[in-house]
Amino acid sequence: MWNERMEEKIRWRVSFVFWIGLALFLLLSARLWYLSVLREEWYRERSERNRIRVVFQQALRGSIYDRNGLCLVEDVPRFRLLFLVGSGDREAVLHRLQEVLGRDIVFSFRERAAGEVVLLEDMTLEDVVKVEENKSSLPGVLIEAYPARNYRGKEDIAPVVGYVGKISAEELEALGRVGYRVEDRIGKSGVEAFYENLLRGDEGYRRVEVNALGQVVRVLDFRPPRFRYSLQLTVDWELQKECYEALGKRNGAVIVGNPSTGEILALVSKPSFDPNILSRGVSAKEWLDLVQERSNPLVTRPTQAVYPPGSLFKILVALAALEEGVVGPGESFFCPGYFEYGDRRYPCWQRSGHGRVSFEEAIAKSCNVTFYTLGLRLGPERIARYAQMFGFGGDPHIDLLGAKSGLFPTPEWKRQAVKVMWYPGDTLNLSIGQGYLLVTPLEMYLLLSTVATRGKLYDPHVLLRVLDEKGSVVREVKPFLRRNVALRSQTWDTVIRGMEKVVTQGTGYNCRGLATKLAAKTGTAQNPHGKEHSWFGGFFPSDRPRFVFLVLVEHGGDGSGEAALVARRIVEWILTNRG
Amino acid sequence: MRRERLLFVVTLLLCLLGVFAVYSADPQREEGFGTKSFFGRQLFWNVVGWGLFGVFRFSDHKWFLKRGWLWYLLSLLALGAVLLFGESDETGAKRWLFSRSVQPSEFSKLALLLFLSFYLSQNRDNLGFWNLLVKSGFFSLIPAFLVFLQPDLGTALVLGVLWFGTLFVGGWQGKKIGFLLGIFASLLPPFWFFLKDYQKRRILAFLDPWQDPLGSGYNVVQSQIAIGAGGLVGQGWLSGKQTQLRFLPARYTDFIFASWCEQLGFLGGITIIVLFGILFWVVLDVAQRAKSLEDRLFAALFGIILLFQVSVNIGMNMGIAPVTGIPLPFVSYGGSSLLVNLVCTGIVARIASEAEGEGGKRWI
Repeated sequence: MWNERMEEKIRWRVSFVFWIGLALFLLLSARLWYLSVLREEWYRERSERNRIRVVFQQALRGSIYDRNGLCLVEDVPRFRLLFLVGSGDREAVLHRLQEVLGRDIVFSFRERAAGEVVLLEDMTLEDVVKVEENKSSLPGVLIEAYPARNYRGKEDIAPVVGYVGKISAEELEALGRVGYRVEDRIGKSGVEAFYENLLRGDEGYRRVEVNALGQVVRVLDFRPPRFRYSLQLTVDWELQKECYEALGKRNGAVIVGNPSTGEILALVSKPSFDPNILSRGVSAKEWLDLVQERSNPLVTRPTQAVYPPGSLFKILVALAALEEGVVGPGESFFCPGYFEYGDRRYPCWQRSGHGRVSFEEAIAKSCNVTFYTLGLRLGPERIARYAQMFGFGGDPHIDLLGAKSGLFPTPEWKRQAVKVMWYPGDTLNLSIGQGYLLVTPLEMYLLLSTVATRGKLYDPHVLLRVLDEKGSVVREVKPFLRRNVALRSQTWDTVIRGMEKVVTQGTGYNCRGLATKLAAKTGTAQNPHGKEHSWFGGFFPSDRPRFVFLVLVEHGGDGSGEAALVARRIVEWILTNRG
Repeated sequence: MRRERLLFVVTLLLCLLGVFAVYSADPQREEGFGTKSFFGRQLFWNVVGWGLFGVFRFSDHKWFLKRGWLWYLLSLLALGAVLLFGESDETGAKRWLFSRSVQPSEFSKLALLLFLSFYLSQNRDNLGFWNLLVKSGFFSLIPAFLVFLQPDLGTALVLGVLWFGTLFVGGWQGKKIGFLLGIFASLLPPFWFFLKDYQKRRILAFLDPWQDPLGSGYNVVQSQIAIGAGGLVGQGWLSGKQTQLRFLPARYTDFIFASWCEQLGFLGGITIIVLFGILFWVVLDVAQRAKSLEDRLFAALFGIILLFQVSVNIGMNMGIAPVTGIPLPFVSYGGSSLLVNLVCTGIVARIASEAEGEGGKRWI
């Protein structure tokens, strides 16, 4: 029944509700105090982080010039189309974009950064203009410029300059701390890789205030990306091109340089590749096609491939024999066309024999029999000692990545590696540059260079000077004398005279009649892969050498043929254009 | 007269503050006065709402109370119509009628409030088990369930609280209420499976918003950032980064409190809390002084849902209550909610004027 007591109870309950309410309001006030007064700073910082976005811009790379100031590589702007996720209806925008560009497009949808998707890479200028004109109807679409490498020199100079690529996961792990990011470019080979530290500039950034839709409200501050240094190479691009073309359809290597400074003027490797394509990024299949091709174009032949040197090696044997006194300059040899040792006959390359030849003529005619004799007189240990003096099997100290060294066989090496003892037959093979002996073209080039300077070996290098942003020189590369091979001058004279006679009377007949005194040597390297490799190397003018050159034509046959013809074309070009 | 004047002034202040708050967070502020901008529409609804306030203040509210059944049935019809022909909003919930101009779930609060006050006072002689628990429960849960189907968890909760408030104020024994709460608590886990995905995410986000600050925790995190970044005195009128750069979601409706605090700081926020505190006190005071049981119940129940909506809304703005889509009365943008609240306040003002002079017993 309804009564006063119940009325009272309701009033009591209402006042109870009031106290609950009061408690709640106090709780809310306390929480408000906590958030806005006690933790103000923390939340204000969160708010800043919300609205400020830092967009990093790829560092520029310095340009690379040849020794005459021709530009080989430079950064050019390219454009990519970005879509800011969350701003506008994605499907509608994509549809509109197809309309604007007037064609069906396969969008890449690569996520570049949080909330940013790349729609199109490497846009044409035409597309850029179309998108910019219709920007108002494309919410959330953004064109971003980024630097890309433009290699003006292509296959001809790729082995020297190298190429850049996206930084790999392993490189990033190693270099992440020094400021590399996921999207960054890094030199992968050649000068691009070796001088990465100089070429890579500073990244830029743009701090922008954005709203919740990711739209940029205003730019807060901005630092443009820049490069620090450009490089000038010792390479003479025109000469380089000439050398590349001189090889024609053949694969091989050419090195031309200055013996008294170590400057490399040309360093050609064939087959080669277009660094523009590699730098843009190739698909897995394209990459496999490149690498698995029989004659791998990514191998820089002058520094990374090894070959038997053939008769070119006789220069070293001749030097050793003279210096060690196992032969006198006036001594003569008889070549019947073969050399009998034990119960075997080792043939001279000229089956009919050279007859009686002087020491210098033996060099000129590349008489195997003479050098078999010298080899046996020297023995493998002494040959090895001289080879070591000339740097065989050691670090060539060139400023290109991945330079290899050849294989110089010794009796000890053979015992350990082949598990067979050294036979005199091995010495015979070694003394004409065959057998186990393998060299890189650069090692042979350095031998020739050392002969040209009569014992002074300068480190080969492709960097001439470092330029700053404004183009003024900040560093000149000085010739570095690696070692002085001190032989008697009579030794040098005799060998150089022999090499001159190679051209005038001997196997280098294809280079006869040039307007300079040329000292050279041919080489014909038998190899298990097919026709002989053709070598030809030398220097000129022989009394005061300014140029050393080395030509290797893979499977070019006789050294007096293909390689000598290539060399002749190069020497003639130098005499005409750089004489 | 004193109570009534206080009620009027506080409500008016809250409404004015609401128009300013909506203006400051209005994405279409440039449209100016008129129906294109949100604050223009809020101003319009305020004019209509205060007209209704006057109507209810100066007419006999008993007439409406006596027809509680009618309003109740009408609201059920409207809620049914929403489920059948309603229009959806951005979240995909069907809440609207008449090309998104009327939100019947808001009006169902008023209808249930009128109906329960009348029903209880009519049956005051046997406020026992059946009448209170079963019958009022039955009558309350029908609209609550219909609203829940829209889905609009927030309003459904308000209707539920209205019923619970009825039980409490209606004088039900404390032990039984405790028992009922226990049953509710045990029903919560299975209830989880009936929640929509987004509702589940909201609750999880409430428990740990920083777990997924860009996803489900976004609202909670952003509104706390806005309040925190406001500091003691705020970042200045119209210059809060969270609001103006639109990081704050629903900044002119559910999260208007955060937007307000970002601009005017702790002082701005405490102003709102104090105004609501005064309003709440006045409403309950009127309930105590009311002459009749239905008046007392009406004012008390209005006070309860006012308290519930205010504390849940401000609480969710500050990350201490789950995000349930309950607007801040008088302040949040929204015509239906504003009209309903002003009608209720008008009736309470009427009750206050009738009780004035009665003196009433001191109760605090």
